[in-house]
Amino acid sequence: MATLRVLFENCAPERIIEFDPKKAPFQHDGRPGSILDILLAHGVHLDHACGGSCACTTCHVIVKNGFEKLSEAQENELDLLDKAPGLTPTSRLGCQAVIEDDAEITVLIPRFTINAA
Amino acid sequence: MTATVQRITYEATIEHIDEIGPETRSFILRLPPTPHFAFRPGQFISCLLPVGGEIIRPYSIASDPEDAPRLEICLNLVPNGPGSHYLFSLAVGATVRFSGPWGTFIVDGAPAAECVFIAEGTGIAPIRPMLRRALAGATHPVRLHYSATSAAHLLYAQELEAAARTHASFTFAPVIDGSLTEDIARRYVSGDSDRARRFYICGVGDIVPRLRDLLRRSGYERRAVQYEKW
Repeated sequence: MATLRVLFENCAPERIIEFDPKKAPFQHDGRPGSILDILLAHGVHLDHACGGSCACTTCHVIVKNGFEKLSEAQENELDLLDKAPGLTPTSRLGCQAVIEDDAEITVLIPRFTINAA
Repeated sequence: MTATVQRITYEATIEHIDEIGPETRSFILRLPPTPHFAFRPGQFISCLLPVGGEIIRPYSIASDPEDAPRLEICLNLVPNGPGSHYLFSLAVGATVRFSGPWGTFIVDGAPAAECVFIAEGTGIAPIRPMLRRALAGATHPVRLHYSATSAAHLLYAQELEAAARTHASFTFAPVIDGSLTEDIARRYVSGDSDRARRFYICGVGDIVPRLRDLLRRSGYERRAVQYEKW
């Protein structure tokens, strides 16, 4: 089992999601077992204008805890993050960051995820 | 639960449908007067399609910002692809809901160095308006290498050939023999030591990261090699 705690910059109440990573995918957008996959399957909205195919930055999240327990970012994700507004050292794209088993992850969903250059 | 700001969505009407290649259609959408929709060449829209609830499908804008209130997308019929099957089932007069514009794969002016566009298949869609913008006032060479599985699959070919005749700085290199990677390697990697060029690559699948890696590993700066992989 793994735990995903979700904080919202817009002050919406936090959510704590417990799930079994081995049962991924939980829905059809983003990489199976990704933060986006977990959130959408548990009724938490996260923008993903490109459909979760790693072609925009609207699913940008800031990882507050457990950054090292996520799959390593590939070059395509890093190139997109390079253009994300509000980039931090622990930024990830929700559609690409896959949560490992037994991980406890905390993410902050930014208020703004607009990525028009 | 809505965690982020509510997106503006637009509802456009299909004004025209063209078969522009084998199992490939162009859809001319007419935008409503409000809310105002503005985009930059290379960006995409995110279509919200009523398939099994709602699915999100991104489509690059193949027209120019100046074509407003019309906007063109083009797509091929993807086997078992619910988004393309839905859109192919629509007729003129149907409506399409979308949000946008999205994306940071953009050319919005004449380039400051030699500019090489590389398109594969329907990856020509965002490059079409980028290219027009790059050619307006271009002072450096602009090249397009466009690969497709056959001559019939080369979308907008006549238009691109006409642009090559009109603009002395523009070279159009269609590729239908699968030699795209070799062409790029020969011309821009082993061909000379100039590493000031800018590249814009768009296509579907592994060809895009393969070309990206080829160019970056041969000395081009990371940000000089921009790409969009679908």
